[in-house]
Amino acid sequence: MHKWFSTESRPQRMSSAAHAGLRIAALGAFLLAGLCAPMSANAAPAGCAALQAKYPSLKGKQLVNAINPHTPGYEAIDPKDPNKYVGFDIDLGEQIGECLGFTLTYKAVTFAALLTTLSSGQADIVISDIYATEERAKAADFITYSKVFDGVLVAKGNPKKITGINSSMCGAAAAENTGFVEVPLVQALVAPCKAEGKAEPTLQLYDNNANCIQAILAGRADTYVNDVNTVDQAVKANPDKLEKAIAVTIPYSVGIAVPKDKPEFRDAVMAALIEVQKAGIHKELLKKWDLDPNNFKEPDILSVK
Amino acid sequence: MSLFVHYLSLPYLLEGIWFTVVVTALGLGGGLILGLVLAAMQLSRFWVLAAFARGYTVIFRGTPLILQMVFAYDALPQIGLKLSAVGAAGLALAANEAPFIAEMLRAGVLGVDRGQVLAGQALGMTPALLMRRIIAPQAIRTMIPAFGNETVSALKNSSLASVISVQELTLRSTQLASSTFDFFSIFFASGLIYLVLTTAVSVIQLFVERALDLDRATPQGRLAIFLPWRRVDLSTKLKLAEQTAAPTAPAQAPPDVPLPPRAASRADRAKHAAMVERNNVAVEVTELRKKYGEQSVLDGLDLTVRVGEVVALMGPSGSGKSTLLRCINHLEDWDSGMVRVCGRRLGHRDDGRPLSPRAIANERASVGVGMVFQQFNLFSHLTARENVAGPLRWVHGMTRVDADRRARELLERVGLGHRADALPRHLSGGQQQRVAIARALAPNPSVLLLDEPTSALDPELVNEVLEVIRRLAIDDGLTMIISTHQIRFADDVADRVAFLSGGAILEEGPAHEVLTNPRHPVTARFLSLMEADKAPERTA
Repeated sequence: MHKWFSTESRPQRMSSAAHAGLRIAALGAFLLAGLCAPMSANAAPAGCAALQAKYPSLKGKQLVNAINPHTPGYEAIDPKDPNKYVGFDIDLGEQIGECLGFTLTYKAVTFAALLTTLSSGQADIVISDIYATEERAKAADFITYSKVFDGVLVAKGNPKKITGINSSMCGAAAAENTGFVEVPLVQALVAPCKAEGKAEPTLQLYDNNANCIQAILAGRADTYVNDVNTVDQAVKANPDKLEKAIAVTIPYSVGIAVPKDKPEFRDAVMAALIEVQKAGIHKELLKKWDLDPNNFKEPDILSVK
Repeated sequence: MSLFVHYLSLPYLLEGIWFTVVVTALGLGGGLILGLVLAAMQLSRFWVLAAFARGYTVIFRGTPLILQMVFAYDALPQIGLKLSAVGAAGLALAANEAPFIAEMLRAGVLGVDRGQVLAGQALGMTPALLMRRIIAPQAIRTMIPAFGNETVSALKNSSLASVISVQELTLRSTQLASSTFDFFSIFFASGLIYLVLTTAVSVIQLFVERALDLDRATPQGRLAIFLPWRRVDLSTKLKLAEQTAAPTAPAQAPPDVPLPPRAASRADRAKHAAMVERNNVAVEVTELRKKYGEQSVLDGLDLTVRVGEVVALMGPSGSGKSTLLRCINHLEDWDSGMVRVCGRRLGHRDDGRPLSPRAIANERASVGVGMVFQQFNLFSHLTARENVAGPLRWVHGMTRVDADRRARELLERVGLGHRADALPRHLSGGQQQRVAIARALAPNPSVLLLDEPTSALDPELVNEVLEVIRRLAIDDGLTMIISTHQIRFADDVADRVAFLSGGAILEEGPAHEVLTNPRHPVTARFLSLMEADKAPERTA
């Protein structure tokens, strides 16, 4: 998950993932998780029977969902039962599976390895808060399902007065995950910073959110720009040491990634997502995980040759 | 602190240990198999195999394990080989460990004393037999510490499997930290778990080292008896414990060897010499030539030795004595010429084509050329009795009972019956050489070659060995070729002396005659130098 929070919009690179903004409520979600669990017992929406008839090959299958489970609220292990993964993406994926008649197992990989795992056939689907960008759509097809809101995580008091991926970040050290869409945005600041006679921003690349957050706690990095819910989670866990400098909407969508060579599967997932949304389950899940309802997005397919 | 204890006992993390151990085991097991293949290829006579192994080593030792993991996981499926995450991690770790393990194996094998290998070859052991009975048992002992290191390193390296979704300890720790934000408690807990695992490896390593320690024939050392190369029957086990535990007896020879004074008069000697002249030819060397690079070691050497004859080879160092002996046993190749032992052309098929090392070994065993080396070259992991009995069983197919009986007889004959269960390192040089002689005699060789058998001995130990050889000559009438610097001994024992210089025989004839009245000035000068050397040594 990465997204860009900059206010300027760069439509050509967004493609994906939208899920971002809603993560504010992650802590609450932890507490609620137990109470909400029965929700997944909802009967599958009515249209699902027709879909199962249309895509019989998926029925009864067990598919592998590659995730980067370091994003509480979206996908992380359940602290109460670490053998389970929980979060909005997990629930959504299982709803889609239920609709089409398949079940999911999970494969935990680094963020940068999500799409390589998919394209090597080690996973069948990726529902892991990944932004659908044109660049990434060269490796996989995306079904977008969520809008993106980014937050800027800084140390308490925002000592560097960072206000976004803009000239306020010149000379600062930004922590990001390898493969995040924010990475090229920070890199793109080099020239403007030079032009203003300021020092270049530096990038520290890590493998997961936890390491990025630790980089700020340890004083190695000045900022971490990512999905606003992730940022809020970090602030809630360390209220004395961290704060969110700003939240911004960025022009990406979060997407479900599926292999490029399986258009039928892609269409089936999209159709199931539409059924899940029609039945109101998508919005219920946003509420369950304490995510912003504004994240809701009707699905589109992003596919490039 | 309570969080730390909580995570330390969390089943989720403890189950991660299982994946860590499985990946490590796959990596080490696979690495050992691959490493064995690689080491065998590198040590092979065929350069193509060696080159291939080199290439593999360069690639897999020279690229990061993390890349290999990702490759095994993400790239192999493109060619249709889709392994599970654990399988891919195990494969990558095995491929990565293999070159390191191969180097360990190779160093272990090359570290085994070359002389023992020669001795094994001289006893007619095939390359495979040598590897199994002589090289591997010793190499394995030296490799255990390195293998312990490698195990610890593989265990730690297994954490890299987290990048390809193996649910091992590190991945589980980071995931748990991500959802609970309890970084330090979790990482301290998993660090401690790793420490426990690596400590367990160290303990196992120490235990195995102790168990295989040949010097500990105590109850803790009893594991060693399960090893095929050191099966000691129960009755001797206790005795062995006593003996090896006891301080090594001073290497005074006298009680060992009851010396029958050798009373052969000069007339007897002449009679003996005249008698053997009518005997069949035992060893026939014709026109033997050999060069090391530019240096000519054997330069058209001719020598005929008859059955029952004792021939002393004398001459300065580098004159070709040792090389000649090794050629007679075909431990070395030569450039041209022929060697026949008991009428058989050693080392070549009847049509003159060279034999494989395995065929040469079988031939050596069947023709029967025994060899005693300057440095004794006893198998250092075997007791005196096993040094004698082992080759009888492995090469000549004797039963354990027969081989042990024969070994005991021979050790009695060389005066070492009471040291049968001692390891070579607990014997004096003279005792070791006597065991070596017993070992060479065990298969009843038709010819015994002795390459400066007393040169490596302290002066006070020389006589006990010479006495044993002398009795073989007189009492057994054994055909022997001895290279020696002991003039008196040669005079005493040999029927004939051949004086070598520059790879050819300068002068040869009845021993007493050549030694007392050399015709060639080089021989005369050498002999007078040897006598001159002797004098101060005696008085010293």
